[in-house]
Amino acid sequence: MAKPVVIVVGADKGGVGKTTVSRTLLDYFSANNVLTRAFDTESPRGTLKRFHPDVTEIVDMTATSDQMKIFDTLNAGTSVTVIDVRAGLLSPSLASLRDIGFLDAAKAGQITFAVFHILGPSIASLDEIAETANFMQGAKYYLVKNFINDTQFFQWDQATYNSYFHRIKDATELTIPKLNEMAYEQVEVSSVPFLKFVANKGKEDEAANYSFVLRGYVRHWLANVWSEFDRIKLTDLVGAKPGVRGGEK
Amino acid sequence: MNPTPVYIICSPRPLVGKTLLARLLSEFLLLKDGAVSGFDINLKEPSLLEYLPRVTETADIADTFGKMQLMDRLIVHDGVAKVVDLGFHAFDEFFKMTNEIGFLKEATRRNVAPIILFMADTDRVSARAYPTLREQIPLNALITIDNEYVVRGELPGGMALGRVLRITALPSFLKTYVDRQSFSFTDYLRSEQDSSTELHQWIRRNYTSLRELEFSLLAQKS
Repeated sequence: MAKPVVIVVGADKGGVGKTTVSRTLLDYFSANNVLTRAFDTESPRGTLKRFHPDVTEIVDMTATSDQMKIFDTLNAGTSVTVIDVRAGLLSPSLASLRDIGFLDAAKAGQITFAVFHILGPSIASLDEIAETANFMQGAKYYLVKNFINDTQFFQWDQATYNSYFHRIKDATELTIPKLNEMAYEQVEVSSVPFLKFVANKGKEDEAANYSFVLRGYVRHWLANVWSEFDRIKLTDLVGAKPGVRGGEK
Repeated sequence: MNPTPVYIICSPRPLVGKTLLARLLSEFLLLKDGAVSGFDINLKEPSLLEYLPRVTETADIADTFGKMQLMDRLIVHDGVAKVVDLGFHAFDEFFKMTNEIGFLKEATRRNVAPIILFMADTDRVSARAYPTLREQIPLNALITIDNEYVVRGELPGGMALGRVLRITALPSFLKTYVDRQSFSFTDYLRSEQDSSTELHQWIRRNYTSLRELEFSLLAQKS
């Protein structure tokens, strides 16, 4: 039986695109025929659940009962568990995972554990890297530079850039390109997964009437995001084989 | 049903005859089909809107909303031919956008036939633009327009790979005559009794070329 895979998407800063990245992950796994479930920690009203209601459950990561709901069911047949961690809760959540022995299980190879750390533009956000790194033994650590707001991540100042991005030896950098603002807003209003938007479908798979231009922008952007996931061999991580994906046909 | 043609008349250079061809083509399609939709993205030059205001609307692709307004119309298979007079300043942005949103693929799916009419010129900007278009547009949908008034000689190497449509130069006095905003090619054909005049023959020759072009392109796409 394949090892359960847990992917935590988080940041200690708000508004850096955690839920957007979680949505692209769910679309990516769906297109690659990987069974996935998601937990949205934005309790009581979750954004991720609005876009992926069928596979998402809202939980409170600080409550023991909800921790049990997530981690005691890892062997329930679903390949991947994606947890969208609310702003400010990444470090406390990782501390909780350490306390319940989850990180030790990952270190022992019983569970595949990955963290997508979404970075914001400020020094404070970059400081989180060092803090988070303390929990990363036994985990795959991805530093996600989300260009959704044209942030430069100090690439113009190599010394500052290196001091942050090269501090953790085994971290993998990942780039999420910018999506056209109107396209992003239209998907928000539609409240459907990116894949359904591209396919011009509504919440219940009914035919929709989204702008062809906006769908084109989303399709192009999603293909770029997925090519980043392909580059880091995300399907290998979850033990699946990349195939021809519906969204790219 | 035949695919709906979308003619995109373009060049990265000003004053190469884009609007002249857009007028000719629009009037030809009006005469043949009784309907045409013109889109003017050429507001910095004398443009289609000034000549054919009843069938032309302006479009601006500087922002996403403008792009939606234009492209969501162009992608509709409604049997009405579309003519886009694409200004030189919008050339790069337009084709960057069509490439990103997958315009040609979607057009094929929807039975819409984009036909790119590239106005050739002998300068370096045009020489660079043509191969860029070739990367995006199949050769059978990319027509080079050899406007004798502009090219004045052989087409630059590489631009004659696919189909070429030649427009012969008019004498200056006739060019001034057809450039008047009140001038209509079709009205001239109907009103001029003498079919041997140079302008009469020039219009008929170009209408015939456009008819052959449309027939061959739509026949291979349908």
